[in-house]
Amino acid sequence: MLGMEGEMLKGHLDMIVLAALSAGPAHGYAVIEEIRRRSGGAFDLPEGTVYPVLHRLEQAGLLSSRWVTADSGRRRRVYGVTKRGDKMLADRRKVWEQFSNAIGGLLGGTRPCKTPA
Amino acid sequence: MQNPGLIDDYVERLARKLDFDRSLSRCVRQEVEDHLREAVAADTTNDVAAAERRAVANFGDPDVIAAQLAVISLAKQSRRTSSASILGIAAIFLAMKGRVAWYAAAQWTTNIDLRSIVGIVGSVDRYAFWFSVIAGIGCWLYIGTRRFPHAFDSMFRKQLDRFLLVSTVMIAALMASVASDGILTAIQLSGTGFSASSLVPILSMAIEILCAGLLALHIRGTTRRVTQIAALWNA
Repeated sequence: MLGMEGEMLKGHLDMIVLAALSAGPAHGYAVIEEIRRRSGGAFDLPEGTVYPVLHRLEQAGLLSSRWVTADSGRRRRVYGVTKRGDKMLADRRKVWEQFSNAIGGLLGGTRPCKTPA
Repeated sequence: MQNPGLIDDYVERLARKLDFDRSLSRCVRQEVEDHLREAVAADTTNDVAAAERRAVANFGDPDVIAAQLAVISLAKQSRRTSSASILGIAAIFLAMKGRVAWYAAAQWTTNIDLRSIVGIVGSVDRYAFWFSVIAGIGCWLYIGTRRFPHAFDSMFRKQLDRFLLVSTVMIAALMASVASDGILTAIQLSGTGFSASSLVPILSMAIEILCAGLLALHIRGTTRRVTQIAALWNA
């Protein structure tokens, strides 16, 4: 069961996965590693959660994939961001920055209550 | 020491849940196995058995992951059904127009005694066919413009219900049109008698029946898949 943070994270998984892949094509395991690395280990979802997101984004035309043979000899599916995906990520980034600034302003503007004497 | 078949069992359990979509099941099997083996290889401890257990535990509940993947498969299937509907209707239209053009080229005329019946059946044919065209295009536009779902939630369920309802009405209208075509072709053939040239209308009718039949099976398959995936989510 995911906690509140997990639930909040789920709502942004598409953006997180797109952002993780913006550096270059990668397979599912590398995507998870990249999310962990870039979030400083803060985002620690069940690893399998990333696959439905990858499949959905591919169906929506935001990612493309190809099969390659890894050094281990196993077949590996590598995903990359499409032009549409790039545009979507840029849009989401802009919305997120506005939202983050607004919330930051709100939270930063609060004053602690005075303790009664 | 390696756990005998721990990863294999996990992958098998996940893939089996997706058996209704063989290509997805095969693809997920390869992807997930690669992921888990890589997680084990990246584990810094020397205990392979523990690394495998950790890899499987970190991956998450296979039933939950299968359910999420199944929803995407269902969304894909409904889009495929809507595209198949457009193609099926187009094929039937071509067969119908080809047959009429052939009647004109061969100068086949309708039996005067049956002209009133031909008129009524012809009207049913036309209205039913154009109704199916509108419903088919409507389905295609409706499902094609929906976002890929995150879950089998009430919103997605409603979309599917609407899509399947209109698809069912569309296929019923198309079948009525094909049946009318069958009656008209039979009337036409009864007036001229069977000869080698009768093969053209018979063949065009066979194409119409085949297209409508395949489309009906496709829609039925999608309806069944909705039930299967609903069960997966309710499990």
